[in-house]
Amino acid sequence: MIMRSTIAAAATAAIVAASGVPVFASDYPQERLTYTVAFGPGGGNDRMSRTIVDILNKYDLYPNDIVVENREGGSGAVGFSYVKRQAGNPYSATSTSGNFLGTPLVADTDWTYKDFTPVGLLASDAMFLVVRSDSDFKTIDDVVKAAKEGRFTIAGSGSAGPERVTASLFANAANIEYEYVPIGSGGELVTALTSGSVDAVVANPSEVAGQIDAGTFAALAFSDSARSTNHPDIPTFRELGYDFDFSLPRGVVLAPDLDPAVQEWWVAALKEAVSKPEWQDYLVKNGMSGNPIWGADFGTYLEATSAKYEAVLKEIGAIN
Amino acid sequence: MFSEVISNLSLGLSIAASPEGLLFLLLGAFVGMIVGLFPGFGPAAGIAVLLPLTFGLDPTTAIIMLAGIYYGSMYGGTITSILINTPGESATVASTLDGYPLAQKGRAGPALVMQAIASFFGGTIGVLLITALAPSLANFASKFGPSEYFLIIAIGLLMLTTMMGDNKFKGFISALIGFAVGSVGVDVMSGQQRFTFGSPELIGGVYFVAVAIGLFGIGELLHCILNGQHRQPAEKLRISFRDKEFWPTRKDFAESKFTFLRGSAIGFLAGVLPGSGATLGSIIGYSVEKKVAKDPENFGRGEMRGLVAPEAANNAASAGAMVPLLSLGIPGSGATAVLLGAFMMWGLQPGPLLIVNDPEFVWGLIASMYLGNMILIALSIFAIPLFVKFLDIPYLHVVPVIVLLCVIGAFAINASIVETWILVVSGAVGFAMKKFGYSPAATVLALVLGSMAEETFLQSYIISQGTLSVFWERPVSLILSIILLCVVLAPFGLKLAQRVFGKTEKHLAHQK
Repeated sequence: MIMRSTIAAAATAAIVAASGVPVFASDYPQERLTYTVAFGPGGGNDRMSRTIVDILNKYDLYPNDIVVENREGGSGAVGFSYVKRQAGNPYSATSTSGNFLGTPLVADTDWTYKDFTPVGLLASDAMFLVVRSDSDFKTIDDVVKAAKEGRFTIAGSGSAGPERVTASLFANAANIEYEYVPIGSGGELVTALTSGSVDAVVANPSEVAGQIDAGTFAALAFSDSARSTNHPDIPTFRELGYDFDFSLPRGVVLAPDLDPAVQEWWVAALKEAVSKPEWQDYLVKNGMSGNPIWGADFGTYLEATSAKYEAVLKEIGAIN
Repeated sequence: MFSEVISNLSLGLSIAASPEGLLFLLLGAFVGMIVGLFPGFGPAAGIAVLLPLTFGLDPTTAIIMLAGIYYGSMYGGTITSILINTPGESATVASTLDGYPLAQKGRAGPALVMQAIASFFGGTIGVLLITALAPSLANFASKFGPSEYFLIIAIGLLMLTTMMGDNKFKGFISALIGFAVGSVGVDVMSGQQRFTFGSPELIGGVYFVAVAIGLFGIGELLHCILNGQHRQPAEKLRISFRDKEFWPTRKDFAESKFTFLRGSAIGFLAGVLPGSGATLGSIIGYSVEKKVAKDPENFGRGEMRGLVAPEAANNAASAGAMVPLLSLGIPGSGATAVLLGAFMMWGLQPGPLLIVNDPEFVWGLIASMYLGNMILIALSIFAIPLFVKFLDIPYLHVVPVIVLLCVIGAFAINASIVETWILVVSGAVGFAMKKFGYSPAATVLALVLGSMAEETFLQSYIISQGTLSVFWERPVSLILSIILLCVVLAPFGLKLAQRVFGKTEKHLAHQK
C-alpha cells in the first residue's frame, strides 16, 4: 500500500514536473491513442498490450480513447514498421517482445529497436529448460552429464528465436554439445516432449506451465536473472553455476522523434499502471518477473539484449 | 463412467442453455456465419477477427460465443465453396470439388442443405465422441512427435492424388507449384530467408488464403467470363421450402448414408491429431469416399457424396481438435491456437489440469458445441433460399461483387497490399489452370501441407541423427509407416489381383 502511494506520488510529481515544459506537455494527451499490436489477437504480445490498455482505461490514466489495432505479419515486421512510420506522432504506441529485437537481426526490415522512443520495460520474459517428469534427468547436472556422454536433443520454437539463444548460451556456459531441433508452434513443442521425440525443450513459461502444474513436465532451470514469481522453486541458471541470463523485453515504446515531455508523461503513466493489482495478476499468471526499467535506461537495456542476441545468432550461423 | 458423462454434460448444459448463454451462442453463430461468407474467412480468421468482441464478457459466456463463431464460420465458409467456388480455408478446398459442380448443375439448394446436414452430423458425432472418449484420446495425441506428424502428412499428400482430376500428370504439376510457393519464407532449420526478395510480408511465407481465393474465386470468374456466361440471362431459380428442387432427393440420402458415418469418423480421428486436422480430414474423407465408390468417375462432376464426405469430415475434425486443446492444452489447428490464446487472456491455464480446475468452463464449451450445431442447422436451412437467390442475379452484376469480396478477403488477412497482389497473380494462374485442366485444389493443399511436411521431416531427420530410423523405431511411427506403404502399394496389389482374377471377373461381368 505504501509502495503504491509512493509511486502514485512520484507519478503526480512527474506529471507536475512535466507540465513545466511549455504548452505541449500540459496539452498532452489531447487525442485518441492508437495502440498497435504487431501480432495476432490472443498471442503473448496481444495479451500484454490489452492488459496495459485495460488498466489505462480502468483507472483513467489515459484521458482519451485508446484503440487497439492488430497488424500482424512477418514476425512483427509489419506492425513495428507501421509504428516507425508514425515518426513525430505522439499518439502511437506499441508493445515489444522477443521479435522486436530478433526480427531486424534476421530479416531486412526498415526499422530496428533504435528507431523507437523507449518508455519502459514492464516485464521480462525468460525461458524454462523443461524435461519430462518421468525422464532420467532430475537436475540440470544430469542434463550436462548426459550431453557430455552422448547425444542430447533440445527443441525450441523457431530456428533463430529466443529459445535457440537460451539453449546456446546454456551450452556455452556448461561447455556441452547439443542438437537443436527447431519446432513450430507451442502445441507441437509440447508434444515433441510428451512423445519422447526430444530430450528437453526450451520454452516460454506460459507455454508449459499447464504441463508443469500437472506434473507431466519438470522445469530444471530458469533463464532470467531472478527466480520466477510464479514458480519460485525453480532455480535460475546462474544460481546453478551456469553463468548467463537471457530474457526478452516486454515493454512499451512510442513512435520515433517525440518531445521528451511525451516520453516522461508515459513513464509516469505506466509507473502508475504497473502498480495496479491487475498488472501484478498478469505477471503471476504468465510467470513473468516484473522489475521495470524506465525511459533511457530501457533503451540501454534493449541495446545490451540485442547485442547478446546478435552474438548468438552469429555464432550459430543464422546471420553473417 | 456413463453416469459421469451424463453429469458432466448436464453441468455443461446448465451453463450453455441459460438464457444468456443461448443469446450469445445465437449471436456468435450468426456473426460467425456472416463472417464465414467472406472468401478467406474460415474459422481461424473468423475467430481472430471477432475475438476482441468477447473481451468484455466473462470467460464462460465468451467461450460459448466463440464456440458459436467457430461453428458458424465453418458452416458459412462452405457456402462460398459451393456458390462461387471459393473456399474460405484449406479445410473446405475439398468441398469445392463436387459442391461447385452441383451448383452449376442447378442443384445449389440441395447441395447447401446437404452440406448443412453433413456439417451438423459430423459436428454432432464429433462432440459425442469428445464427451465419451476425450481422456483416452488425449493420451493418443500426446504420442505424436515430429516423425508421426510427418508420416500422417505424407499419407495426406498421397491421398491428394485422388483429388487431382483426370489428368494425373497435370495434377502433379499443380501440386509441385504448391510446393514451390510453400518454400517461400524463413527456412525453419537455418533461419535463413528463402525467396522473400527483401519483403517483410513474405518472411512468414505466402499465406494460402490469398492464393486460394485467387486460384479458385478469381480464376473461376475469369473462366466464366471467357465462356460468355456474363452475356447469358440468369437462370430462374425460384426456390423456396415448398419446392421439391430445394430439398435433397431420397436418392441423395440413400446413396450417402454411410458417407456421413465414414466422413465423420475419419474427420474426428484426423482432428484429434495435432497438426492440420480438418484439412487432412477433408482430404482423406474425400479420397476414401471416392475409393470405396462403385462409380468414382462421377466424383468431381457434381456428386453429392463428394460434398458430404469432406463436410462431415471437416466439422467432425473441428470437434476432434478440441480434444487435445481441452485435455492437454495443445492446439491442433489455426482456430484452436487462437482459442488457446483466448483461454489465457481470460486467465485460464490451458493444460492437463484445465478440465479438473475449471469443469464448468470445459463442459460449458462442449455443451455449447452441441447446441451450436443445432442452432446452425436451423439457421442455415432458413437462410439457404437467400443464398440461392444469389444465383438468380445476372452473372454480369455478380462479377463485381465477387471481385470485391475476394479483394477484401485477401487484403484483410494482414491489412497489407502484398496479399492483394498475391491474389491478383493467383487469379491469373488460376484462370490458366482452369482453362488447361490443372488442379487448383492440388496447388493449395500442397502449399499448406508441403511446408509442414518439410519442417516435420527435417525435425525427424535431426532427431534421428541423419538416418531415417526414427520412422520405424518409434511404435506409432512404425504403424503409420506400414499404413503409408499399404497406401502406396495397394494400387499395384489391386492390379496384380486383377491380372490373376481378371478373366473370371470379365467373364462374370459378361454374364450379367
